[in-house]
Amino acid sequence: MTDRTDRARIVVTGTGAVTAGGDGMAATWRTLCGGRGTARHDPALDGTPVPISCRPPHPEDAPVRQGWRLDRSTRYLLTAAQEALREAGIEAFGTRPPDWDPARVAVVVGSAAGGVAVLEDAHRRLLERGPGALSPLTLTGYLPNLSAAGHLALALRTTGPALHTSTACASGANAIAHAALLLATGACDLAVTGGTDAMATPLCAAAFARTGALSRRTDRPATASRPFDRDRDGFVLGEGAGVLVLERAADAAARGAPALAHLAGWATTSDAHHPTAPDPAGRGLRAAVALALRAADAAPGEVEHVNAHGTGTPRGDRAEAAAIRDLFARTPPSVTSAKGALGHTMGAAGAIEAALTVRTLRTGTAPPTANHDAPGPDTAGIDLVTGRPRDHGPRLALSHSLGFGGHNTVLALRRTDAP
Amino acid sequence: MDQVTERIAAVLTGKFDVPADLITARASFQDLDLDSLSVVELYVTLQEEWGVPLDAEAATGDVTVGELADEVRTLLDGRRPGDD
Repeated sequence: MTDRTDRARIVVTGTGAVTAGGDGMAATWRTLCGGRGTARHDPALDGTPVPISCRPPHPEDAPVRQGWRLDRSTRYLLTAAQEALREAGIEAFGTRPPDWDPARVAVVVGSAAGGVAVLEDAHRRLLERGPGALSPLTLTGYLPNLSAAGHLALALRTTGPALHTSTACASGANAIAHAALLLATGACDLAVTGGTDAMATPLCAAAFARTGALSRRTDRPATASRPFDRDRDGFVLGEGAGVLVLERAADAAARGAPALAHLAGWATTSDAHHPTAPDPAGRGLRAAVALALRAADAAPGEVEHVNAHGTGTPRGDRAEAAAIRDLFARTPPSVTSAKGALGHTMGAAGAIEAALTVRTLRTGTAPPTANHDAPGPDTAGIDLVTGRPRDHGPRLALSHSLGFGGHNTVLALRRTDAP
Repeated sequence: MDQVTERIAAVLTGKFDVPADLITARASFQDLDLDSLSVVELYVTLQEEWGVPLDAEAATGDVTVGELADEVRTLLDGRRPGDD
């Protein structure tokens, strides 16, 4: 074990995901590299202005007994965590390594809305049948601390910090950044971290529609999510979870765990501009990139790939494209957005996309941005990967996450064989 | 096993994943590995199903399957025709 106060290299030793692209990282990656959208008509959203979504194929799955007690966001999380822990060489919900110390394991998970589906169902029940019909599982299903980190820590029986982050669509990335901080300061020896959300519910769909953030291409759902495209008109609600296992490099090496990527730097800033709109010039994002690169001891010219936030909203993509053009004017990195294929998984997005960025570093492949036909005048000038995957072996990549409220989080990930 | 007990057993196996061979009239909910939230959820489920005013707030892990069945039967017997 390294000195607990040593700000050592932090590595990713496991990744897991549940997305509309399929069960697990491999299926998600195949869907992403196929370059097609997964959005479809969603009967659960009929009656809302936008009855389309990107849903994982098996929302009822959970690797624990009585999974029905949990909101589906929690079930996604547990499934993704199982995959990530297995890759890290830890049998998630059964036997564990003999040196597993539950007090030294942190669980840090972000979500924007907690178990909102449970809350909506309970509220409907309260109005229709009165308080006596309410399930005692309402709060334990809904409370964001439980629906994200809490139930995962319970299932894993870990007793270190179990924390929930909520910074809207940057929540998952913020959780990873916070977990890295806990590792760097010696507050834990291993962190199970990521994000989860299941907001394809009538209330959330209607509320997002009222902000004008959702695509209205309900007649052609598979092409509705169009990051950086000339004809983009908003995002598509997605659901899912992403989980990373983080450790200090020396600890991972000592137990023979795979070092998939180095989490070299991370940073968070706020726009202080508007409740829902990003700063038009992407000033907050630019500051976060600069700070993350400084933490990684890297220069902008070393960044060879950016996993953009890229939701497909007119204002969001314009601001992010402006920031990328400005930051990397001399040596433009490849840029991709997973949201064209997977929709916007809200608090899970930053974690899923961090896991996908790890895979890009491992495989040398940048997946394409689905549904991008032509840039608009406000999103041109960035080297967007379109059509098919691009093999170019980046060594340093960034994952951008932006959230309502003006939250910006940037993770800098480096290939483990890069200097 | 009478109809009420059979139905409770079916809910315990179907919804709460309790192995059928553990369910006897003498088994307490604690014996069946139901935590306090699951016990209340069981009462709410049965209350909805039979339309009887089970006292979920008095539910504990010490209550046995037989005792719950007795309570349900008493409430069902006490219902007047047309109460539904």
